[in-house]
Amino acid sequence: MTDRLEPEMNKRSEKPTERRETPKYLVLLFLLLLLVMGMVLPKGVRSLVTHMMIFCILAMGYDVCFGLTNQCSLGHAVFFGGGAYGVVLSMLHLKVGILPAIFFSLGAGFILAVIMGLICVRLSEAHFVIITAIFFAVFHLFAMDLTWLTGGDDGLSLKLPSISLGSVTFSLYDPMVNYYFVLIFLSVSYLILNRMARSPMGKIFVSIRENEKRLQFLGYDVFRYKLIAFIVSGLFSALSGGLYALTLRYGSADLFSFHWSIMPIVWCLIGGIGTLAGPWIGVVIMSLFQYYVSAWWTYYLILFGIIILLILRISRKGILGYLISRRFT
Amino acid sequence: MGGRFFSLLERNSSTAHTHRRVRRRQPRLYRCLSLPDILTTILFLLVNGLVWGLIVALIAIGLSLIFGVMGIVNMAHGDIYMAGAVLSFYVTGILGNFWLSLILVPAVVLLVSAPMERFVLRPYEGHHSSTMIATVGISFIIQQIVLGTYGGIPKKITNPWPISFNFLGVDYPGYRFLVACISVLILVGLWLFLYRTSYGILVRASMQDREMAGAMGIDVSKVLITTFVIGSVLAALGGVLAAPINQVFYLMGNDVILLSFIVVIIGGLGSLKGTLIAALSLCSVEGVLASVLSPVQARAAIFIVMIIVLIRRPRGLFTE
Repeated sequence: MTDRLEPEMNKRSEKPTERRETPKYLVLLFLLLLLVMGMVLPKGVRSLVTHMMIFCILAMGYDVCFGLTNQCSLGHAVFFGGGAYGVVLSMLHLKVGILPAIFFSLGAGFILAVIMGLICVRLSEAHFVIITAIFFAVFHLFAMDLTWLTGGDDGLSLKLPSISLGSVTFSLYDPMVNYYFVLIFLSVSYLILNRMARSPMGKIFVSIRENEKRLQFLGYDVFRYKLIAFIVSGLFSALSGGLYALTLRYGSADLFSFHWSIMPIVWCLIGGIGTLAGPWIGVVIMSLFQYYVSAWWTYYLILFGIIILLILRISRKGILGYLISRRFT
Repeated sequence: MGGRFFSLLERNSSTAHTHRRVRRRQPRLYRCLSLPDILTTILFLLVNGLVWGLIVALIAIGLSLIFGVMGIVNMAHGDIYMAGAVLSFYVTGILGNFWLSLILVPAVVLLVSAPMERFVLRPYEGHHSSTMIATVGISFIIQQIVLGTYGGIPKKITNPWPISFNFLGVDYPGYRFLVACISVLILVGLWLFLYRTSYGILVRASMQDREMAGAMGIDVSKVLITTFVIGSVLAALGGVLAAPINQVFYLMGNDVILLSFIVVIIGGLGSLKGTLIAALSLCSVEGVLASVLSPVQARAAIFIVMIIVLIRRPRGLFTE
């Protein structure tokens, strides 16, 4: 199957180096805008924007896997749900504070990603897709079934302790604090991931996307780099899940549902895969779409399916990818 | 005696609807039966699992065939199965005869799936992840259309052949024997088509090397449409046969697609023989395990089998 695709791949890499990096100042400007918007926005919109920022972290995390190394995973709901339950269970049973709980969620994401990565990453593309999907489905079944642990569909709700930094204490019950709390995590994740994407390792990730075989011939251990990308992706997805559980003050088996596997793909495809900040555009568009269209039509998932088919058909570069390619050529 | 076994039948298929319902755990078998009883029970469950395995084999072979020939990871396959069950519900309701649906449903699925392959899926073929995402989109569309027309409540089709055989001292529903016979007939028919007709040679040639087949003057486009239609019809027939056994529900495909993906991975992607063997053995094992464990635990056991197989033989058990 890969042999048949080979000529196409070569054609792609012959083009003058395709830029997929987002201009950094645009992103910083956007983050600054979010900073200001936190004070201005009315309450309802602010909570919507908070959710969007959490999804942005998930989308960026997914982009490391899908956009940078071209591993299309359907299993990210496992990391998202795992991260959320890392927060919920550690706060309920171990009575830890909020920041340690986030470390627990990262730990959960790390463990899940290592287990899943070691099994899936070395396999071919079709196997990878199918097996991550199977992982997701089995974990979802588990989350539904183990009601003593996860609370099943009804879920478990949380009481949040306040965060104390030195002499100041914050409470996440204040939506404003919650907004900035999430914003800090979003900015830090972006800075880390952006640094990573521009480092030599990030270049290797991109080379895996462009031509995996050539990289193997050059002597790189492709499996190791793909595994690293997968784990990093899992970590940020788990972080996003943890923040989501904190914002909702609640975690249920629904956080393992298919929604959280398919949405990142759609966000990345709309925004532009491999651009890190591009998926943010996808998040904003799809969140608004869901928010308004689901209120207007119950069966809006039909439109959602049509959108998926259309994006794949029109261009895999996405909005930001298109803009960037226009600017630099 | 009979009553207990019928409740077992229900349990075997109850993983299908874990999505929105809380399940009640049933009493474990071994506590209330003596040794000969246990043996008959296990035999009974084995047969039961085999019957279910034949239905799963129909679906999984369709999946495997579609993957092998056209490189589509068909996430919508479970929803075609569901659509088959729903259509047979309508056929039974409107025409009053369940058996007509064995002819009418494949006809409807043929009319829908041929244009679907040609005009919707064709541009994505070969890129596995793209086909996967695209078929997820199709799966959403099918599910929501069914939800909008059929509704979200599980319904049952009355057993079309309410006769039970006495099988080793156990009353066994005749419909299941019939399902087994029909499935075997369909599978034999598929085998005859693939290995004993000239068109089957074209399909197998495209499966081995599509580009070469095209170069030899085979009309690959037609072969692709045929394959997709055959795969979809197999899934829909599985749905029709399973409709009186399982409940008809718009999410019933999710359970089956999971099982058939596991089967396909263990048997080897694109290997029809491996898929058949894996489907039969896994489903009978799961059927027996479900007597001791809860359905989800039985599914987890199969999942662990899959992981072990993947670690030892990453390309599946039966690939050359």
